[in-house]
Amino acid sequence: MALLSAKDREYLTDLFSKEMENKVKLIYFGDSKENCEYCELEEQILDELQELSDKIIVERYNVNDHKDLAEKYEVEMVPALILTLEDGEDKGVRFYGLPSGHEFGTLVQDITTFGKGAKPDLSPNTIEKLKEIDTPVRISVFVTPTCPYCPRAVLTAHNFALINPLIKAEMIEANEFFELSNEFGVSSVPHIVINRNPNTFFIGAYPEAQYLEEVLKAIK
Amino acid sequence: MVHFDLGNISSGPKDYYDILIVGGGPAGLTAAIYAGRAGLTAAVFEKALEGGAVTQTHIVENWPGFTRIEGSELGEKFAEHARSFGAELVTAEVTKITYDNEYKYVHLDNGKVVKGKVLVYATGAVPRQLNVPGEKEFRGKGVTYCAACDGYLFSGKDVVVVGGGDSACDEAHFLAKMVKSITIVQNLPYLTAAKVLQDRLFSNKNVKVVYNSLVKEIRGKDKVEEVVVVNNETGEETVIKAEGVFIYVGLVPKSDLLKDIVEVDKFGYIKTNENMETNIPGIYAIGDVRVKNLRQIVTAAADGAIAVEHAAKKYF
Repeated sequence: MALLSAKDREYLTDLFSKEMENKVKLIYFGDSKENCEYCELEEQILDELQELSDKIIVERYNVNDHKDLAEKYEVEMVPALILTLEDGEDKGVRFYGLPSGHEFGTLVQDITTFGKGAKPDLSPNTIEKLKEIDTPVRISVFVTPTCPYCPRAVLTAHNFALINPLIKAEMIEANEFFELSNEFGVSSVPHIVINRNPNTFFIGAYPEAQYLEEVLKAIK
Repeated sequence: MVHFDLGNISSGPKDYYDILIVGGGPAGLTAAIYAGRAGLTAAVFEKALEGGAVTQTHIVENWPGFTRIEGSELGEKFAEHARSFGAELVTAEVTKITYDNEYKYVHLDNGKVVKGKVLVYATGAVPRQLNVPGEKEFRGKGVTYCAACDGYLFSGKDVVVVGGGDSACDEAHFLAKMVKSITIVQNLPYLTAAKVLQDRLFSNKNVKVVYNSLVKEIRGKDKVEEVVVVNNETGEETVIKAEGVFIYVGLVPKSDLLKDIVEVDKFGYIKTNENMETNIPGIYAIGDVRVKNLRQIVTAAADGAIAVEHAAKKYF
């Protein structure tokens, strides 16, 4: 059975044909069903997305068979999804765990953003400050698929990553990676951790300026 | 069952719309539908997900036409409906509202400013805080206001739900399926939720209620470990062991962007006339954020229809 309804497929086909100028590459790393509960579903949703537009290219890799590539993209756990431009240039945009529920909208929004050349939707002031960052920054956004505040927290992080190659931004599905969530004390989402330091985090829906402030504060 | 929602896809706002709608709940999205029907352009600005607080509601049973529908699904349907009438749904937080003789302006957190002829303010209300020691300190460490967001993170744990109204009982029922036990702390000798919600709640074996009691303090080391409650008749204190505290003790209006511009009542709810217009011509307030008797999805939607219908005749 298809995961997307006929109506949603129609909507997305139309959206992609209108919005996408360039090709987008979705690089997926998975594993066998025994090792990865949600990989099969993620493969299916990627199949369905790929069918909707010739601008969407999906590359699939088993994380054990392609260790070099997984290392290149710093894949830490599966399912992992990395969005890149057609040439495979890593912009630091990642999804760990199935982008289902409200996070599917996040993925679609990211795809159209990349389709328009990966230009971030941010204020000039934010862009300027992000460009000045000269140390690596990793923004981990813990989410649940049923959290209505989470998509924006992920999209803001992903937009930040587009500005500066030193910034990596990842969605992490908190239920799927329960041990990791526990490690970081996640009990309310969105829970945003900077540089994987359990002590530099913030929780909730922050507008762009405050979001930036929290990130800058954490790396100071 | 795994869902894949289209919720928050937006292609970014243009510079001008006839109607600017701040807030994408049932009120705002109905306003957008009526704008489309009137041949007016409309943009809805929402920082979370279109559908508003409805998307966080477990089950909705008082929206006509659906005897029972999940809140997230109803929110999606509202958004889809507004989109089908040409509304632009913009994912952004409005940080400031200004106006001059001719136009209203919304200032977005990504730096953009969008101009419109009429502004419809539909931001709703946010959960009221208990204002007890430990609440702020343990926010995100066990204290939460969103069962839909965080419920699964408390699977198999003991939790406390504070409040006895519709939201508290509906969310407690939702939580009962995943957590180990729920203790509801209610300040009155009875629950105030609709009877059907109470009956459903008590069909769960792992729910109990502590009546006539107030939360005095939320305690723990690094995260919530226990909740101290006081019986307001006997003064007796009890300690309830819990890892999660879900707070549903009513709402406060989210009128901050307008409260210095238009008239509000002493609680911060925005005053309007029967056309939903505030004391500033061309600025309307609809839904939970305005002074009214009944705050429900159906009354919010009605407000949206009334406001736009009126604005369409008066300003276009």
